[in-house]
Amino acid sequence: MTRAGALALAASVVSIGTFGTLAAGEASALRPTTAQLATPAPAAAEDEELDYLVYVAAESTDEVYKVRFDGEKATVDKVIPVGYQPTEIEGPHGMTVSPDGRHWFLSMAHGKPFGLLYKFDTETDELVGQVELGLFPATMQISRTTGLLYCVNFDLHGDMTPSSVSIVDPDAMVEVARTTTGAMPHGSRVSPDGLRHYSCSMMSGELFELDAASFEVRRTLKLDEAPEGGHGDSKRHGEDRGGGKHRSSKPTWVHPHPSEPLAYVCLNGADQVAEVDLTTWTVRRRFQTGHGPYNVEITPDGAKLVVSYKASGEVGIWDVERGVELARIRSSRRVTHGVAISPDGRYGFVSNEGIGGESGTVDVFDLRKDELVATAEVGLQAGGITFWRTETRD
Amino acid sequence: MKPLLCLVALLVSLAGPAAGQDEEAAPKLTLEVVPQDVELDVFDQLQLEVRVLDESGAEVDVDKVDGVRLVYFSRDREIADFSPPGVITAKGPGEGTVVVRAAGLGGPGASVKIAVRVAFPPLDRIEIRDVPEVLYTGTRASVSAMLVDKAGLERAEVPVQMALGSSGAATVDSLGHLTGVAAGRCELFAEVEGLRAQAAFEVVENPIRRIELTAPTERAQTGDVLQFEAIGRDEAGKPVEGVPIHFSFEAHPDDTLGQAATGQVEQDGRFVAEAPGVYTVVASSGGATARASVRAEPRDVQREVEFIGHGEVLDVHTSDLWVWEGVDKRDYAVTGTWGADGDALFWDVTDPADIQRIANVRVDARTVNDVKVSADGRICVLSREGASNRKNGIVILDVVDPRNPKILSTFTDELTGGVHNLFIYEDHVYALSAARRYDIINIEDPAQPYRVGSFELETPNHSIHDVWVENGIAYSSNWRDGVVMVDVGGGGMGGSPSNPVQMGSYAYPSGWNHAAFPYRDPETDKFYIVAGDEAFPFGLYTSERPTYPRGWIHFIDFSDRENPEEVARYQVPEAGTHNLWIEDDLLYVGYYNGGLRVVDISGDLLGDLYRQGREVGWFLPTHHEGKVPNAPMTWGPQPHKGHIFFSDWNSGLWSVRLKPEVEE
Repeated sequence: MTRAGALALAASVVSIGTFGTLAAGEASALRPTTAQLATPAPAAAEDEELDYLVYVAAESTDEVYKVRFDGEKATVDKVIPVGYQPTEIEGPHGMTVSPDGRHWFLSMAHGKPFGLLYKFDTETDELVGQVELGLFPATMQISRTTGLLYCVNFDLHGDMTPSSVSIVDPDAMVEVARTTTGAMPHGSRVSPDGLRHYSCSMMSGELFELDAASFEVRRTLKLDEAPEGGHGDSKRHGEDRGGGKHRSSKPTWVHPHPSEPLAYVCLNGADQVAEVDLTTWTVRRRFQTGHGPYNVEITPDGAKLVVSYKASGEVGIWDVERGVELARIRSSRRVTHGVAISPDGRYGFVSNEGIGGESGTVDVFDLRKDELVATAEVGLQAGGITFWRTETRD
Repeated sequence: MKPLLCLVALLVSLAGPAAGQDEEAAPKLTLEVVPQDVELDVFDQLQLEVRVLDESGAEVDVDKVDGVRLVYFSRDREIADFSPPGVITAKGPGEGTVVVRAAGLGGPGASVKIAVRVAFPPLDRIEIRDVPEVLYTGTRASVSAMLVDKAGLERAEVPVQMALGSSGAATVDSLGHLTGVAAGRCELFAEVEGLRAQAAFEVVENPIRRIELTAPTERAQTGDVLQFEAIGRDEAGKPVEGVPIHFSFEAHPDDTLGQAATGQVEQDGRFVAEAPGVYTVVASSGGATARASVRAEPRDVQREVEFIGHGEVLDVHTSDLWVWEGVDKRDYAVTGTWGADGDALFWDVTDPADIQRIANVRVDARTVNDVKVSADGRICVLSREGASNRKNGIVILDVVDPRNPKILSTFTDELTGGVHNLFIYEDHVYALSAARRYDIINIEDPAQPYRVGSFELETPNHSIHDVWVENGIAYSSNWRDGVVMVDVGGGGMGGSPSNPVQMGSYAYPSGWNHAAFPYRDPETDKFYIVAGDEAFPFGLYTSERPTYPRGWIHFIDFSDRENPEEVARYQVPEAGTHNLWIEDDLLYVGYYNGGLRVVDISGDLLGDLYRQGREVGWFLPTHHEGKVPNAPMTWGPQPHKGHIFFSDWNSGLWSVRLKPEVEE
C-alpha cells in the first residue's frame, strides 16, 4: 500500500529553474528575481521508495487510465470512462494536471462537431466541469502564473486553414479568448515563467509564441526547410499541404527548456528535434532523430530530452548539452505518442498507441540507466499522458 | 453610464489566488481595482483603475518591472468583455463576472473578480397576439401578450396579465383563453411595468343551431385514424362555414381495470383509439352538440417472431450490417465491429438458419461503424474511426467474391476526423466527415475515388450523424438540426452529387435525431420521414452490465415539404431506438435494449403507435457469453427475402422471421 502524500506535482506544469543565463537583450523581459523563483520539485531521497502516478488517455476507447509505477512494475490503478456519446469515439487526446494537483484536464477531440475540455477531481476522478472549445482540442497546459489553461484546437478536418489556441479559465471552465495561429496546431506548452505560450502548427510548419497575458501572437518562426530555389519564409499558412517540392517539417510538439531561453521542437516530417533560441528566435541546433519524432519533454535539470519516435516505434533519450542521442530504445508498441517525465527526473513515461485492436501501453524509462524498465497495458490508442504525483510507500 | 455602485478600492491579497495554482514560494502581489461593482448599459465602456502592489505595499509598475503582467478576461463574454485590456465593454444584458489578475514573478497571481451588471434595454411595448377579428358565442380562441424591449427582445420572464372591458361579451382566463358569451364589441387590455396595450374584437352570435356529426365507420381497429365530419347548420338548416367546431371524446374501453387515457382527437376531427372499446366523439359549437360513436376492435396484427439463425460475434462489439444478393446469386452479409481491431466480417446467409462466417477484412481502425454494399453487389465500403494514423476515411472493397474481398482503395482526404456513417448510391459514396458534413465521392472507378461535392448545414454548431439516399434525395440526421432533405439528383431542384441543394428540414426539441428513413404510404399517399433517436441518459456500458438507452421513432409528415408536421411516434417504454428500416408497410427498428421491433405503419398515422397496438412483433437477442452477457442491444435491422437480419452490439448477426398469420 502507499501513503498518500504528494511530493511533487505534475512535472510538465511546474515551473522550475531560472533564466539566469539569458542573453542581455532579453533578460529584462524574462528574468524573475531569485526570491521569486518557484522551487523545483523535491528529489526523492536515495533510499526513499516512491510510487509514480501518471494519467494516460486511450483515444479509441474513450477511457483514461491511472497508471502506477512502483520502481519495478507498472500497473493500472483505475480506468475512468469519459465522454458523452457512448457509441461514437470521442477521442480523449490531451491531458494536464493543475499546478495544485487537485484537478486533471482532458481534451475530447470529437464532438457535435466541436470538442470539449473536461475537468476532473484527482481524488475522486469525477467530472466536475466542462467547456466546449474548437475543432479537435488537443494538447494543453496551465500557466501557474496567469492561472489560465491554453489548449490548441488541432482541427485536422477538411481544408488546412489556420486554427487556434483556446484560452480557458480553469476555475470557471469558461473559454475567455481564442487566438488564431496556424494550420493543425499542436504541442501546447508554457514557458517556465508562465508568461509565454508555445505551440506548433503542423501543416504550416510554424512555431508560435503567444503572450500568455494578452493572448496575442508575439512571434512566429518558420520551421520548414526552404524548398529548392528557396522561398521558405514567404509562405502563408496552409500552402504546404499536398506535398510538392517543399519539404514540410511538420512540427508536432514544443517544450521549453526549464532554465535556458531555449525550446525543443519535434519536426515530425524532418526526423529532427530543433533547438530554438528564444532570444534570437532562430533554430540553433538540429538533432537528427529516429523516424517521426512526435513528443518531447526535457528533464527538470535540463540535461536530457526524451523523444517519442512515433513512426519507428522507438524512444530516443538525448544529452541536451552535447546534442548526442544516448539511447534509442524499442518501445513496447509500434506507435509511440506522448512523453511525461517525473519531477525528480528519474523516470520518463511514454504512451504507445498500438495499431488496430492492439492495446496501448505506457512504457517507463529509467533516465539514469536510459533503459526501458516497465510496461503497463492500457486502452486502445493511448496518447495524451501527464504526470500526476509521487507517493511514498509505507 | 449609470453611477458606479461602489468606488471603494478593493484590496485583494493572495488569499484568493486562482484555483488550480499552488502557492509555494510565490511572492505576494496585491491588487487594487476600482470599481468593485459595475453597472452599465449595453455598449457602454468603463476604464478600470488598477494598481499592483508588492509585499511592502509599494506600487509595481507593470510596464517596467520584469515578469509582471496584468491579465484581463471575462467569464461572461456575451455580457461584458475587456476591449481594449482594462476597459470593460458591455455586450449584452445580464449579470457577469470579469477578472483582473496580476500575473508574474513565477507564481500564482492575485485575482479580483468584478461583478458587472448590464441593464436590459428599456421596455418598449406590449404585443397582444392572435386576437381574432370575430369570436362566435360559445366558441373559444387563444390569445397571448408579450412584453418587448427597445432592442426588440421578447421579455418572456415578465408575465403580462390580460383583462377584458366591461361589455360582458366575452371572458378571458389566466391562460389566455377567450370565450364568446354574447354579441357585442370587446376590448382586451394588457398592462405591465407602466405599459399598456389593447386590442378589440367583435363577439358575434353563433349561427349554428345544430351539428351533424358523421363517423367514417362504426367499427374500426385501434390505431386506425378516423376522420369524423362535422357540419354546423343554421336555423334554416343551411351549412355554416367559418365557425369553429370543437371536438372531444368519451371513452368506454373494454378494459375497465385502471386503464389509462385511451385515445386522441384532433381539432380537425381526426380520432384514433389506443385501446379496444367504444368511443363517442363529441362535436360542439355554441349551444349545439352532436355525438357519434365507434367501436374500436383490437388491431390484432401481432405475430410471433421466430428465431432462425445466429452468427455469433461474442468477443467484440458488432456495429452495422448490410445484407445483399451476391453476383453469384447467393446471399451475403457484412457486419462491422466497434471498439475493437478494425475488422469487417463477411457472412454467407443463403441459409438463414446456418449463417456462416466466410471472410474477415481488417483495416487500420478501432471501429468499423458502417458497412454498405452497392446495389449491384460488387462494391463494399467500410467507414473507419480510430485509425492509428488518424487519417480514418473510407475503405473500398471488391466483393464480387465475398469469400475473398479485396481492398481496392482507401480515401481519407478531408475525412480524417473519422467517418461514422456512409451510404452508396449510384456510383457515389456519401460519407460523413468529422460529424460536421457529408462528402460525396465518385466511385465509378472504385480504385480511384474522388470527391465531387459536399453538403454542410450553416446553422451554428451544426452536427451530423447519418445519411441515407433514396430516389436522388439524401436524408440526413443531424442531432439538434433534425432531419434534412437534400436534392442530389432526384429532388427536382437542380441538385446533383456535385451540387447538393437543400430541400427542407425539420428539427425536434430533444436534439436526439440519429437516423432517418423516407416512407410514402400507398394508401394515403402521405410522405413521411421516419426519424429515430439515440440517447444514453444513463450511460453506456461496454462490458459487464447492460445499458438502458432511451428515445423513440418520430413520424414527420413531409407531404407539404414547406410545412412538415410531426404527427405520430412509436415509443417502447424504457428502451432506446437506434437504426431502422422500412419495407412495404412494416417498420423494423433496432431498439437497443428493446431488441428487434416490427411495427405496422399502414394507413394514416396519428399518436403513439405502440399504445395503439400497432406493434407486430419483437425479438430479444441474448447470449450468455455475449460481449455483455444476456443483454440485448440491437443495432440495426434489414429485411431480406422473407427474413429479418439484424446486428446486435453484444452478440453478432441474427436472422429471424415473422411467423405466417394463421387464419382462424
